[in-house]
Amino acid sequence: MLQSFHEDCVERAQGALRRGVDRRTALRALGALSLAPLAAGGPARAQGARELVIVNWGGIANEGFGRFYGAPFEAANAGFKVIQNSTGPSAGRIKSMVDSGSVTWDLCDSSSTSARVLGKQNLVEKIDYAVVKKSDAISEAFTLEHGAAPYSFSSVLAYDSSKFPNGAPQSWADFYDLRKFPGTRLMRRDALAVLDAAQMALGKDPRNLYPLDTRACLNKLKEIRRNAVFWANGSESEQFLRTGEAVMGQIWHTRAKVLEQETNGRIKFIWNQGLLQAGIFVIPRGAPGGANTQRLLASMLANPEPQVELLKFLGNGPTNPRAAALVPEEFKRFNPTDPANAVQQVTLDGNWWGDNYTQLNQDVIDIITG
Amino acid sequence: MSPKGRHAAGWWALILPAFLLMTAFYVAPILQVLAISVTEPSPGLGNYERLFTSESVQRVIGTTLRIGVVTTAVALLLGYVLAYRIALAGPRAQRWWLLAVLVPLWISVLVRAFAWVTLLRRQGLVNEGLLAAGVIDQPLSLVWNEFGIIIGMVHYMVPYAVLPMLSAMREIDPRVLAAARGLGASRTGAFLRVFLPLSLPGVIAAGVLVFIFSLGFYITPAILGGGKTLMVAEWIKLQILDLIRWGLGAMMATVLVVAILATLAVFSRLVNLRRLFGAGG
Repeated sequence: MLQSFHEDCVERAQGALRRGVDRRTALRALGALSLAPLAAGGPARAQGARELVIVNWGGIANEGFGRFYGAPFEAANAGFKVIQNSTGPSAGRIKSMVDSGSVTWDLCDSSSTSARVLGKQNLVEKIDYAVVKKSDAISEAFTLEHGAAPYSFSSVLAYDSSKFPNGAPQSWADFYDLRKFPGTRLMRRDALAVLDAAQMALGKDPRNLYPLDTRACLNKLKEIRRNAVFWANGSESEQFLRTGEAVMGQIWHTRAKVLEQETNGRIKFIWNQGLLQAGIFVIPRGAPGGANTQRLLASMLANPEPQVELLKFLGNGPTNPRAAALVPEEFKRFNPTDPANAVQQVTLDGNWWGDNYTQLNQDVIDIITG
Repeated sequence: MSPKGRHAAGWWALILPAFLLMTAFYVAPILQVLAISVTEPSPGLGNYERLFTSESVQRVIGTTLRIGVVTTAVALLLGYVLAYRIALAGPRAQRWWLLAVLVPLWISVLVRAFAWVTLLRRQGLVNEGLLAAGVIDQPLSLVWNEFGIIIGMVHYMVPYAVLPMLSAMREIDPRVLAAARGLGASRTGAFLRVFLPLSLPGVIAAGVLVFIFSLGFYITPAILGGGKTLMVAEWIKLQILDLIRWGLGAMMATVLVVAILATLAVFSRLVNLRRLFGAGG
């Protein structure tokens, strides 16, 4: 039942549409971007456009990714059509598709860990950095050997300020301090970001966090597990804090934003020591688009404006270095890659995690369920 | 071939299309998936070795068995009381009783799990009620643990326990009980020495049904367990979709299938399972 960040995006977008508040903003943004490709790509499509398939996690993100990632590419490349498929490209599904020998997916919304795991099993293509520009991403963490990230997100510390009138938690050390900050904790039922937080709570310098001392981190987690509950999907994480089941939690910044706005700041979140992560896209081995898939990925990283629109729509942070300056003032507080916020966070090391994830995740689950 | 044999072969030929369809589209793919357990990551029985060496594999199996046994026991107890009450009720009352048993079956398992969360959480109805009544001064941990899971699963399973036991009880001739009383047995004695033994096949059938269902439970533990309790079904999903350890996931799936078939094989010798699943009269 563990839900990935992208599945969560879908759910939030559907919520936003139901509320109807963001719909006009979203549609206006979508509309502006969709005019160009119709003008440029129309005649070519009649002669049989070349199709590239982006696989996402469904729902309205289908449309969002189509307009913010697909449309700009179609506009710049007449004769191409970018299609959205919402199967949900989990690592297991990518493996079964590549194993079956008939690959129909070009770009998959994955993660840095999966990129590394799949890359080691030779199930995904290497990114061609002659085509994709490393200079289009704010740091190396967003341009990996087997994947690149057009968006970012963060695992941050959120807390119910009404429970701590004598001073708020400032760091993961406070998160683990049950004496000073009593109450149930909330974490994702996953090794990723959870152990990184434990390592910071152990006092290791956040600028020099990796490799994690896994044994110590796991022991640290053991200290707190009896006083914690664990979430598997984003809405659950929101609900645990909203209903007071937990007083403090490590949750995705997008969910923390919803809670902070909804409770008028009763539930707050801090960027300090948040774990900044890359929304990595991978190319399954033997993807039909070939070199054009690399060009599509390059275009997704190279255009800051659609990335900012995605931030306004879904909350996903941009990764293009020119994007932060384009973000409107009221959204800056919630942009994980805003320079003021980014400097407080720690970038999660996707490569280290890719090498250690399978084992550590099993260890963490053993501890949680023990 | 004798005329009689040819006759039989004709009947077999009639079910051949259905048989082939089932084999090609159902049995073969399942076997193919289960076979992964001996081919990945390397050919051999390495995955099965973990049944004996890996503490985490053993813990998942242990948790699943423990929750399964407790759920079965509680569901059987509650179900027996219900079935007894229904069996002794008049025909009109029986219809209402049955409706009350069956209605929960038609409500989605997801809805029921969330309903239990609403009732049992810290700020839920039960805790708020007890706090207001002054019975407790700290909210009780009723959910996000095995206790919560068992409540949710028992609620789901009681109808499955009632139905086989009820059908067994209905077949008990009331005159037998009257005869026992006539021969001087007390009410309790007549129940313990006559009614209970006669209803036992229904109890065993219900127990098998509930236990097998419990082994594969997925949604209820995932929602009511607060992430802290992992049962086999969710563990398999984790291995296959998230950790890409298909061999290990397929191994556990095989163990689950074998465990269920073995349970059925053992108990089909004790009770008529065909009747339980609706075949024959």
